[in-house]
Amino acid sequence: MSSHAVETDSGSAWDGGKSPFNVSYGKLFMWFFLVSDALTFSGLLCAYGFMRHKHPEVWPNPGDVFTHFPFYEGHIPLAYVGLMTLILIMSSVTMVLAVEAGHRKDRQKVIVWMLLTIIGGAMFVGSQAWEWYHFIVGTEHGALRSVFVDGKWVEQTVHGATMTVNEYGLPVFANFFFFITGFHGFHVFSGVIINLVIFINVVKGTYERRGHYEMVEKVGLYWHFVDLVWVFVFTFFYLL
Amino acid sequence: MSEFHDDYPQYEFMAQHSEEAGKKARKKLWGVFWIMLVVTIVELIIGFKAHSWGLLNEDRTSTVTLKFIFIGLTIGKAFFIVFEFMHLGHERKWLKWSVLAPYIIFIIYLIGIIVQEANYSKVHKEKMDELIVNQKNALNEAAKTGHHAEGEHPAESHPAEGGEHH
Repeated sequence: MSSHAVETDSGSAWDGGKSPFNVSYGKLFMWFFLVSDALTFSGLLCAYGFMRHKHPEVWPNPGDVFTHFPFYEGHIPLAYVGLMTLILIMSSVTMVLAVEAGHRKDRQKVIVWMLLTIIGGAMFVGSQAWEWYHFIVGTEHGALRSVFVDGKWVEQTVHGATMTVNEYGLPVFANFFFFITGFHGFHVFSGVIINLVIFINVVKGTYERRGHYEMVEKVGLYWHFVDLVWVFVFTFFYLL
Repeated sequence: MSEFHDDYPQYEFMAQHSEEAGKKARKKLWGVFWIMLVVTIVELIIGFKAHSWGLLNEDRTSTVTLKFIFIGLTIGKAFFIVFEFMHLGHERKWLKWSVLAPYIIFIIYLIGIIVQEANYSKVHKEKMDELIVNQKNALNEAAKTGHHAEGEHPAESHPAEGGEHH
């Protein structure tokens, strides 16, 4: 896809029929919204980095915490998270292929690729829910923690994680896990819903009648943003 | 469903390309996908083997080298996603900058401020939960000596001692 430069001189620019940067208002708005959302996630990740480096001795090693894999009894560090990353990247690829098909007004291909994107997104949300489940339930051995019970601090073996105490490390570790992955998962979920709505519109032929598939491109921007955030969350939360 | 047309009719035609241009575009997109896949796998391998490659500190936090590697690879992936998947690389120059400049300025400021001003938090470290410190130290000791304390450490993360199992 290339942006066709529409030549303007100072005389004709005021004649109307042109838009700043040669993009529609919808696409421009989506870009600026994504900048604001990116800054929100950046704030969260910076807060996480701050906390993580405030307590470097006790911060759990994510390779020790996230070791589960579906249908496998052993411990493989970060394997499932790596698979989730792969699924989301693949759904991003299928989304951009849908956008490209839209540029050729190839409705059938748009349908195929968007459907795959929706399925990939749904798989990611399901996987994240599975991760949350195992994070909350925890391991068999648990860990000894100071818990405030009946007005006193007592030492108890804690399994899994709640918002106030977890077996992996400081309470703030679980807090950040829930908040960052939860906020991102919420974005993925809303992205799946939005993709579904646009997909239905594609099937109904709304965009054929409209003459262009720019709506697919706009939701594609949102979906790629979701993938981009995950790339950063994956690096800062699970790897570093 | 009522007919809807944008106010700027040329958008209906400008955002389209021919079949050949489409083939080239698709090829490039799949190329970017393979790059992303390889980079992700490399990141995972490095994460997996960081300990045995000496990229971790004594307390099992990441060394500066490792941080640079991961952040560099991640920014590389981000560049590909934004410029190719989101097509920002194909947009007008000033749209690119309208999107990137505010973000870059803010993120550099944010990170700089946190790094510069966060030293006050060291004062709080004495008030940390002793239990957690002891358990983490025990974990580090166990990882060093190769003893399978909780069975969670993969074989690669142990120093090469022939894997003594008692």
